[in-house]
Amino acid sequence: MDAIARDGFDAIELEIRWTRLMTIMDEVDAAVARTSFSTIVGESRDFGVVMMDAQGRSIAQSQLSTPAFTITLPATCKHMLETYPAETLVPGDVLITNDPWLGSGHLPDLTICTPVFHRGRLVAFIGCVAHISDIGGRSDYLDDKELFEEGLRIPPTYLTRAGAPVESLFDIIAANVRVPRLVIGDIHALIGAERLGAERLIAFLEDYDLASLEGLARTILARSQAAMAETVATLPDGHYAASVEADGHRRPIRIAVEIEIAGDRVHVDFAGSSPEQEDCSINCVMNTTFSDSYYPFKCSLLPHLPNNEGLTRFLTVSAPSGSIFNTRFPRAVRARSKSSFHIHNAIYAALAPVLGRQVQAASGSFWTLVATGTWPDDEPYRAHMLPNGGKGAVNGMDGLPTIAFPYNGTITPAEIFENHAAVIIRCRELIPDSGGAGRFRGGLGQRIVFEPATERPVGIFVRPDKTINPPGGALGGLAGRAGRILLNGAPAPHEPLTLAGGDTLALELPGGGGCGAAGDRCANALRADMDAGFVTAAAAIEMYQASLE
Amino acid sequence: MPSPFRLGFDIGGTFTDFILVNSETGEVFLNKCLTTPDDPSEGVMAGLVPLLDEAGATGEAVDIAIHATTLITNALIERKGARTALLTTEGFRDVLEMGTEVRYDIYDLFLEKPTLLAPRSRRYEVAERLDRDGNELVPLDEEAVRALAPKLREDRVEALAIAFLHSFRNPAHEQRAAAILAEMLSDVSISLSSAVAPEIREYERMSTTVANAYVQPITRAYLETIEDRLKQMRYPRRLFLMISSGGIAGGQTAKDFPIRMLESGPTAGVLAGIHYGRQIDIGSLVTFDMGGTTAKIALIKNYEAAKSNTFEVGRVARFKKGSGLPVKLPMVELIEIGAGGGSIARVDQLGLLKVGPHSAGASPGPASYGAGGAEPTVTDANLVLGYYDPDFFLGGEMKLDADAARYALRQRLAEPLGMSVEDCARGIFEVVNQNMLAATKVHIAERGEDQRKFYLFAFGGAGPAHAYELARALQMRGVIVPSGAGATSAVGLVTAAVSFDFARSLLARLDRIEWAEVKQVFDEMAEEGLGVLEEAGVARDRPDVAVTHRMDLRHKGQGHEVTVVIPQEAFEAGSLEGISRLFYEAHREKYGHAHENLAVELVTCRTTVSAPAPDISLRPVAAEGREGDAVKGRRRAWFAEANGFVETLVYDRYRLRSGAAIEGPAIIEERECTVVAGPSGRIRIDEYGNLFIDIRPDAGAEQKEARDATAPA
Repeated sequence: MDAIARDGFDAIELEIRWTRLMTIMDEVDAAVARTSFSTIVGESRDFGVVMMDAQGRSIAQSQLSTPAFTITLPATCKHMLETYPAETLVPGDVLITNDPWLGSGHLPDLTICTPVFHRGRLVAFIGCVAHISDIGGRSDYLDDKELFEEGLRIPPTYLTRAGAPVESLFDIIAANVRVPRLVIGDIHALIGAERLGAERLIAFLEDYDLASLEGLARTILARSQAAMAETVATLPDGHYAASVEADGHRRPIRIAVEIEIAGDRVHVDFAGSSPEQEDCSINCVMNTTFSDSYYPFKCSLLPHLPNNEGLTRFLTVSAPSGSIFNTRFPRAVRARSKSSFHIHNAIYAALAPVLGRQVQAASGSFWTLVATGTWPDDEPYRAHMLPNGGKGAVNGMDGLPTIAFPYNGTITPAEIFENHAAVIIRCRELIPDSGGAGRFRGGLGQRIVFEPATERPVGIFVRPDKTINPPGGALGGLAGRAGRILLNGAPAPHEPLTLAGGDTLALELPGGGGCGAAGDRCANALRADMDAGFVTAAAAIEMYQASLE
Repeated sequence: MPSPFRLGFDIGGTFTDFILVNSETGEVFLNKCLTTPDDPSEGVMAGLVPLLDEAGATGEAVDIAIHATTLITNALIERKGARTALLTTEGFRDVLEMGTEVRYDIYDLFLEKPTLLAPRSRRYEVAERLDRDGNELVPLDEEAVRALAPKLREDRVEALAIAFLHSFRNPAHEQRAAAILAEMLSDVSISLSSAVAPEIREYERMSTTVANAYVQPITRAYLETIEDRLKQMRYPRRLFLMISSGGIAGGQTAKDFPIRMLESGPTAGVLAGIHYGRQIDIGSLVTFDMGGTTAKIALIKNYEAAKSNTFEVGRVARFKKGSGLPVKLPMVELIEIGAGGGSIARVDQLGLLKVGPHSAGASPGPASYGAGGAEPTVTDANLVLGYYDPDFFLGGEMKLDADAARYALRQRLAEPLGMSVEDCARGIFEVVNQNMLAATKVHIAERGEDQRKFYLFAFGGAGPAHAYELARALQMRGVIVPSGAGATSAVGLVTAAVSFDFARSLLARLDRIEWAEVKQVFDEMAEEGLGVLEEAGVARDRPDVAVTHRMDLRHKGQGHEVTVVIPQEAFEAGSLEGISRLFYEAHREKYGHAHENLAVELVTCRTTVSAPAPDISLRPVAAEGREGDAVKGRRRAWFAEANGFVETLVYDRYRLRSGAAIEGPAIIEERECTVVAGPSGRIRIDEYGNLFIDIRPDAGAEQKEARDATAPA
C-alpha cells in the first residue's frame, strides 16, 4: 500500500471527503429519479450519474447507477473534451451526445455533461447517461441494418451555451421522437440534476478551500488502482479461454474470450467472436465491450469498494475491428445488449477455476415488451415493461428468482401496466423447474400472460433473449430453462405481433443456470424446493437423480 | 373523582419509559425500568406501580393511557409472528416472491432478499378478477374459497392476508372471500389489502397486507394482556396506541391494523419534538435520536412531521434501501442510519477509516464496557475525547474503562494507520458525524428543504454528544436538548393528538374524471376517520375536529408523485383544474420546473382526520441545589474548532436553572446522556428547562478542519 503512504491524505480526511463526493452523486441520482418523466428513467432506473475530474476521469458515482454507464460516461466525457477543449468551455455550458461510438453504444442513451467551474477554472464534470423513452428510428429495431435507421444521432454539441438553452437542438430532438414531451422532460430533469451536483461540488471545494479537485482525484484514483492491483495479483497468472454461444438475432453468435492474467494486469481479447452483423442491430462498440468486460471483475474481485476509473486500470480489452465486439460505423447497434450481456458469461466460463466462490452461472436476462394501440376514446398509448428472468446461481448461493444480471431494473406492476396499456395481465408467476439444477440452483424465470382488454388490437413488440441457448451453468451446474414466446399456446415468431380479441400471449422468461454438480445439492435444500414447487418431482429425479422415498 | 392524569409508556428494546402528567398542574413524573421481553406487561406493572405512588394517584385518576411499543417491529425482524397465508388472484401468488425485481446492490453477486412472511406453500390463488376501474371481469369463485378453508386449517394457518388485483378500486371480492372464510375459520385473523393499504402497486400492497396479518394475532393477545393489567390498576378506560403516522388511535384500530403501529416509539420521539417546538415557538426542527446501534432523523416543518408513504422492515443488507420488506403506510418519515454509540470503527482496504454500520451492540458492547469487546467504537472514541466521564456513565450506574478504550483504539487503528490514539478517536467522531450528516443532507435535499432554517432537536443516549458538531457542520440554527431527554418518546405519547391517516389510490387524469368520483373517495375516508375518532372517544361533530385532504399527483407519464395539500376552499370548490394548478405550483417549488402542457394524473387520495392536540404545559423540573454547584468538575475535551484538547467545564444538568447561560466549550451531564457544546456554542436553559446551544453563525462550514477558528471568548 505504497500509494497510501505517499499521497499525503490521512485515513480520516480522505474518508470524509470521499464520502462527501459520493453523497453529492446520490443527491444527483435522487434528483434524476424524482424529476424525470419517463418510466424508463424514473422507475426502471436505466441511468447513471458520475462525477469526473477536469480530465474526464470518473471519481465518484451514485450507489444505484447502471454499472455500464459509469464506465462509458468518463470515456464519453474525454471525447467531448477533444471536441470542446477545456479552454473553450464556459460556465453555463452543458454538452450532449448520443453517438454510439463515443457514448454508451446506442442512440437512446443520451450522455449529458455539465462542466463545473470554480474560481474561474474548469474543475470537474457532473455527467449523466440515461436511456430515454425514444430517439426515433424503427420500432422493430432488431432488424436495423444501418445506424441511420435507428433514430437521431447527436454528435458532441452544446445543449446549453453559457446558460442559454440551444433551442434549435431541443426543437430538432422534439421533432424526431415519438414522445417529445417525455424526452424533453427527461432532458430537463438531467440538466437540473447536474446543476444541483455542480452547486454541491462548488460548496464542497469552498468548505475545504480547494482550488481544484486534482489532488483528491489523484488520490482516489491511485488508491483504488492499488487496491485492485493487489487483488488481481492474487489470481494465478496464466492464459484462460472460453467461448459461449448466444441466440443473436436471425442466427446465433459466438462470444469467445482469451484472458491473459499477468501479475496485476488483465487483458481480455475477443478474437474468435462472431463478425459484426450486417442485418441486425446487435453489434457492440468498444466502449460497450470494455464496460461489460470490466463488470464481472468488479463484482467478483472488489464488489464493496466505491467504483471509479482507478479500479478499471488493471484491465485492457481488445476485439478485432469489424467483429461484433468492435463494430464499425454505420453498423446498427440498437439491440447491442443481446451480445454484450453475454460477455460476463464467457469471462466467468474462462475464469471459473480461479475465482473461488465468486463465480456466477448465466442469468435469465431481461426482455423488453412494448404494447401500443389506442384506448376506446382513440387516445394512443405506448407502454414498456422490462421483465426479468432468474439470476444465475453463485458458488455458494442459489440464484434469486426474476432478477436480471448484468442489467438492473424494476418491473412495471401489473396494476400500473393495465392503466398504461389496454391489456389484461392474466398471470405473472414463477416457472417450476426453470432454474438450472446444481449444487446451487439457478433462479426461476417467470411466465407473464397478456390479453387485449378491449375490442381494439394491441401491437406487441418483444425483444427476447436466451430462447435458443439457455443460460449456462457453472462448475458443472446445468443450464436454466430457455425462454419461450407463445401466441395462443403455440411458439410465436420473434416478430412484431398484433393481438386481437381472444388472443393470449405468454412470455416465458428463462431461469438462471445452476452452479456446481446437481448431485451435490443438499437433500434438505432439494426437499424445500419441492415443497415450494420450485422443483417438481419429475425434475428432481431427472436432474438431481434424487431417490424419492 | 377528577381524573387529571395522562399516562404514556413506551416499551423499547431495552427499557420501558413511563411518563405521568397532571394536565391541570403540568406536573410531570417519569420512570424507567427494564423491558421484560417474555411478558412486556410485567415490566409495565413494575414501572407503573411506583410511578402512580410517587404521583399519589390511582389508576382511576388516569384520564388516558397511551402506549408505544417495539413489539410489532421486533416480531417482524425476528420472524416471531403468526403462521401466515396469502390468498390472491389466480396467477399472482408469486408476486410476493418476485418483488420489484431490482438488485439493491449493483455489484454484489451474493445479494440476499429477506425471508418471506408467507412462503410459497402457503400462498393460495382463487379465480376472480377486476379491471383497472374495479369492474368485475371474472366473478369470485366462492366454491373455491370455501374449499380453501379445510386446507388452511390443515396447514395450521393462524392469519390470512387477502390481496386481489385492483381491490383498492373495489373491495367487494376481498370482502366476500373474507366473509366466507371468517365464518368457516373463526380463529383465523384476516387482513384485507383493500382495508390495510388500498393503494396501487400489487407487490407493495400484498407485502403490507401480509405483514399486517403476520403480526395481528400476537398484537391482539398482547394488547389484551396490557389492557387487563391496566384494569387491575383500576384504569377505567380503553388503551390508546401511538401509530406510525404520528397520531393516536383506539385499541380496536390497533388490533385491526397492527402494522400501523410500526416504529411507534421513535415516532413518539418526533412528536415530542413538535410538542417542545410549540412550547418554545420553534416550528422547524430536525429530530435526532442517536442510540446504541442507530441514529434516527426526522423533519418537522411548521409543527408538522414530514411523512412518507413507504417503509421497509428488516433490511437484510444493513440500511440498504431495497433490502427489506416494503410496507406501504402513512408514516412519520424516519431516516435510520447505522451510526450509534456501539458502531465499530475499522480500517478498510483503501486505508480509510470506516465507522459502522456494524455495531458491538449491548453485548459485548464498546471496549470500554469491559465486557470483552475488543473493537473500538464511537463510545470508546467519545471517552478518549473527554466527552464522557468514565465514572458517570448512565448516571454512574456503569463504569467505563478508559484504558480498554485506548487499547482497542491503539491495536485496531492507531498502529495500523501510524496515527495517535487521540487522532483516531477524533477520526471516529468525525467520520460517524459525516455519515449522519450525509444521510441528513440527502434526506433534506430530497424534501427540497434548507437545513439552515432548522434547529436540531437531540435526544437518545448518544444524540446530545454529537448534536453540536452535526448542527455546526450543517450550519443549522442550533441545538435543543429537551428537559428529560431520557424520556423524550414518552413525552410525545402524552402530548399527541388523536388522529388517523388514510390513503386510497385512484389512478385518473384530472381532466378526464368527474369531481364527484374523487370526492366520493375522500368522503369515504373522512367518514371512516370520524369513526376511528369516535372509537377513541372524540365526538364526530366537535368543531375542532380537522379533516385534511391531500392528493398524490404527477405529470401524466411521470414516474413519481408529489403530495399536494388540497386546501379546504379548493376542496369545496371542487375544481379539478384548480387542483392541477396547485400541482404545477408545488412541482415548480420542489423541483424548479413544471410542465403545464402536460395533463395532471391523480394516483392516490389521502385524508387525515384529527382532533386537536391536548393543551398541556409541562412544568419545568425544578433545579436542585444552588446555582454555583452546577459546575461539577473540569476535564480536557477535544474540539475541531480548537484543533485539539481544551480544558472544559463539566456541569450538572439538574442544577442548571432557567435563565442559566454558559459559554462553550462545555459538557453538561445528565443521567441518560451527556451534552457536548464546542467553543462556538452558547448554552442557555429556557424557562421550561430545555437546553439550547446557539451556534455562532460564522462557525458553520461543514467538517472544515477549521484549524484557524478562534478560541472561546
